[in-house]
Amino acid sequence: MRFILIDKVVSLKPGKEIKTIKSVSLAEEYLADHFPTFPVLPGVLLLEGLIESASWLVRQTENFAHSMILLEHAKNVKYKSFLAPGSKIEYTIEAKTIEENVSSFTGFGLSENERIVEARFGLRHFNLASQNAKLAVVDANIIENMKKRWRLLNS
Amino acid sequence: MAMSRDEIFKEVQDVLVDALGVDDDEVTTDASLMGDLGAESIDFLDIVFRLEKAFGIKIPREELFPAESLMNNPEFVSKGKFTEKGLTELRVKIPHTDISTFKNNPNVNKLGDLFTVGAIVKYVETKLNAA
Amino acid sequence: MRWIWIDKFTEFHSGKSAVAVKNVTLAEEHLHDHFPGFPVMPETLMIEAMAQTAGILVGEAKNFTEKVILAKIKKAVFFDYVKPGDTIKLKAQIESITPEAASTTGRITREEKLIAEIDLMFSHIDQNLAGKKFPEENFVFTGMFESLLRDVLISDAGSSKEASEQNG
Repeated sequence: MRFILIDKVVSLKPGKEIKTIKSVSLAEEYLADHFPTFPVLPGVLLLEGLIESASWLVRQTENFAHSMILLEHAKNVKYKSFLAPGSKIEYTIEAKTIEENVSSFTGFGLSENERIVEARFGLRHFNLASQNAKLAVVDANIIENMKKRWRLLNS
Repeated sequence: MAMSRDEIFKEVQDVLVDALGVDDDEVTTDASLMGDLGAESIDFLDIVFRLEKAFGIKIPREELFPAESLMNNPEFVSKGKFTEKGLTELRVKIPHTDISTFKNNPNVNKLGDLFTVGAIVKYVETKLNAA
Repeated sequence: MRWIWIDKFTEFHSGKSAVAVKNVTLAEEHLHDHFPGFPVMPETLMIEAMAQTAGILVGEAKNFTEKVILAKIKKAVFFDYVKPGDTIKLKAQIESITPEAASTTGRITREEKLIAEIDLMFSHIDQNLAGKKFPEENFVFTGMFESLLRDVLISDAGSSKEASEQNG
């Protein structure tokens, strides 16, 4: 089970907006527990899809300057409907601000013209080396991995 | 607790900004919760909880927003519009709303327009004065 | 990957509050993607851990008769990241509970450090999700959650019995 909650990048406007798609499949193991008789994508993984999409917008805008991009806060995250296996969801993220170490966004997810999720959230981005110089090599490794993943998402 | 209408408005404004993620300047007296501020049913519940906490009052749900049963009653709603009887019922059940414009075209799916920031402020004021 | 983000309850006060713990371990596969070479528990999974702690608290308050679903994350704020080898403590409190919904507040700590503050709203979907289709039976609370509660409810019932005998 890989922890990657988007499958493809649809469009990107650096500094401004990104659209991505996730396809939901019964092959995703956690669906067996959520829920056994009614498999639907867990709400927090919808939020994770929005966060990952925004993280890519940051990475592209700052040219992979930072290795670690984490959720700093989320507010007014609303779940409006269920997303079942066999469906696809398109995430649209709009950047409010992207600064060196913090950024903020609004985002929503649509499936067959129905709103599934919407959220406001902020990310923080940094390199481990800023806390401990010895970790610079770890940063480099993460960034290399992220560049590979970016190619996958755009292939 | 004697709060002025302005003080009540400020507190209601803060509640709506937090619950709906909108900006201060969008929360005007005439703004409707659903149409202008994007509130949905889960938000209404959130708003009720926050108002109870902010003002120390208890808000039975049908006092603020009318019960489903009102809308499903054929004496009050017919062919998608409120009847005269229905409008009277609204005046009794939700007196904090202003139906003077609504009554000219009382479409059931426009009912949401009645729930303005001003209506909430009026409701809270009434509750605090009764306490 | 099992969809269970807490390991056990250490306190459970029916209708009021609960405390659960979760160990974070390298054995969890998803950590190796987030991020490769520096695994940290994804913040969204911390939110889920709190949602499970608070959701069980809310569900138990109505004897698991309601289908309790996460409807809104009012706010989630994170102050630090969590690594394998860490144990996080999740404390949830019910703020309000009505037939249609419940509102909870919660804090996640690692030893003394505050890791996150997470406030949630749950919907009792039989009471208010018009038009959406979902099964009749309670698909939310399964055997997995029952076993989490079993131990703590037995011990809590024992201690509250003692307390009432002392006060009686």
